[in-house]
Amino acid sequence: MEKKLSKKALLKSFHNWYYGHLTCFSQEHMQTFGYLCSMLPLVEELYENEDDKAKAMDTYTAFFNTEPQLGTVIVGMTAGLEEARANGADDVDNETINSLRAGLMGPVAGIGDSLVVGTVIPILLGIAMGMSTGGSPLGAVFYIIVWNLFAYFGMKFLYFKGYRLGGKAVDFLIGAQGEALRDSVSTLGGIVIGAVAATWVSVKTSLQLLNDAGEPYLILQNKLDDVFPGLLTAVFIVLCWFLMAKKKMSPIKVMLILVAVAFVGVLVGFFNPGLAY
Amino acid sequence: MEISWLQAIILGLFACLASMPGLGGSSIGNYTLGRPLIGGLVCGIVLGDITTGILVGCAMQVVYIALVTPGGTVSADVRAVSYIGIPLAMVALKSYGLDAASSEGAALATSFGTMVGTLGTVLFYGTATINLVWQHMGWKAVEKRQYKKLYLVDMGLPWISHFICSFIPTMIMCKLGANVVELIKTALPMDGIAMKTLFTVGALLPCVGIAILLKQIVKSAADFVPFLFGFVLAAAMGINLVSATVVAGMFAIITYKIKMLSVRKPELAGAMDDEEEEI
Repeated sequence: MEKKLSKKALLKSFHNWYYGHLTCFSQEHMQTFGYLCSMLPLVEELYENEDDKAKAMDTYTAFFNTEPQLGTVIVGMTAGLEEARANGADDVDNETINSLRAGLMGPVAGIGDSLVVGTVIPILLGIAMGMSTGGSPLGAVFYIIVWNLFAYFGMKFLYFKGYRLGGKAVDFLIGAQGEALRDSVSTLGGIVIGAVAATWVSVKTSLQLLNDAGEPYLILQNKLDDVFPGLLTAVFIVLCWFLMAKKKMSPIKVMLILVAVAFVGVLVGFFNPGLAY
Repeated sequence: MEISWLQAIILGLFACLASMPGLGGSSIGNYTLGRPLIGGLVCGIVLGDITTGILVGCAMQVVYIALVTPGGTVSADVRAVSYIGIPLAMVALKSYGLDAASSEGAALATSFGTMVGTLGTVLFYGTATINLVWQHMGWKAVEKRQYKKLYLVDMGLPWISHFICSFIPTMIMCKLGANVVELIKTALPMDGIAMKTLFTVGALLPCVGIAILLKQIVKSAADFVPFLFGFVLAAAMGINLVSATVVAGMFAIITYKIKMLSVRKPELAGAMDDEEEEI
């Protein structure tokens, strides 16, 4: 008889992932335990025999980490593949499932980070902060509702989409079409992140040169903004990118460098936040 | 402004839920409760001053609007920012007599948030390290085929990690809040070098968050152009974020169509060859 996963088991699997993908995070195994918990309801329903269960669960002990929201699609796909394997599909074994998982987690993390964390969340927060100007809780409530509806139903959609497509989703995600999609998403992400940076990040210098009468004849910030509005902000961002991407520094190291830069900048009068009692 | 034990305990619980590998799950925890704007609302409700809470939360949210944790590298800890930084900043504002809506108030909040957030990364690595113990038990359970135990390992035992690394630090820092702020106030006067540096760091740190995101999408110099394009849209042309997203969407569609053309082209060419042969 053809085995078919019940809606109940699939929902339980989805909810285990939705909630538990990062609850037991460590640098060593990251989302692996979340994945195991997510596959457990499915494995228990598909296999009667303890040995079969163990064989299936062993598949998912391999390391897993990706952007968790978009990564739901991968969990859904493996649910579909596990069902196919339980029905005796010859072309599905440990190796196919794990090479699929390993092959997808990188690209999906790339799209997910620029789409979810780089685009959706900053935009929602940007709108919410506009609504909360002056201390109104409205914006915060707006963000809580909109983001959570988006995350829950978006992830649910991805899970069941992945489940239905199974291995076929791979072509879509890492085939030529997937590559085109990734390129266009990074274009979108790049532009939005640029706008986020220009809107919410502001690095300003207070350096000015005074003439004999004590009036400033050169306000550096204005000169820089004449060249390119927000030049200093852009320069600092590119510098941070350079240090992390080209010099392979960790974010913490870069932050310590910025602390040093800030300290020296304040000493020489380049930075002055203009504080006073 | 005093923070009572009960208030400190509630904030400690929220810290457990909100942190990066938090017990609220990443959608509700990290990405909702962990965002400083939402943390501001929660702290405002708990401490009985929603307006100040939101204003402080907004100021800190600006710093962490693009906080990403690619591959588990954490540059700031959201539980510390939202549930230690915000309450302390609220106490500090009251103590300095600053208005939270003023730019000095926002700057003070920002520098408190960033200071605590950066130091708080210790809590993140602490939690992740303690989780290794539970995961070790998890592997044992897998070996013995006691799969039900996985739920306990994934969703139950990490509460212990959070009790140690989220609940206790948050509760104690909040309870001692007034004293801590008093200490900072006497040690670091507002117009001294240290405080100026702290404020400046607060303005510089968001650059790191943005750069982490850029690292994902910028591989060569040409990839910087979309970023700079978006930057120009907002900085030079004054277009707001939602509108900029629409413009970005347009370019994304164009990119996609062009890419798909080069994918389909060989197929089309192939189809034409077939036709010729038939003739």
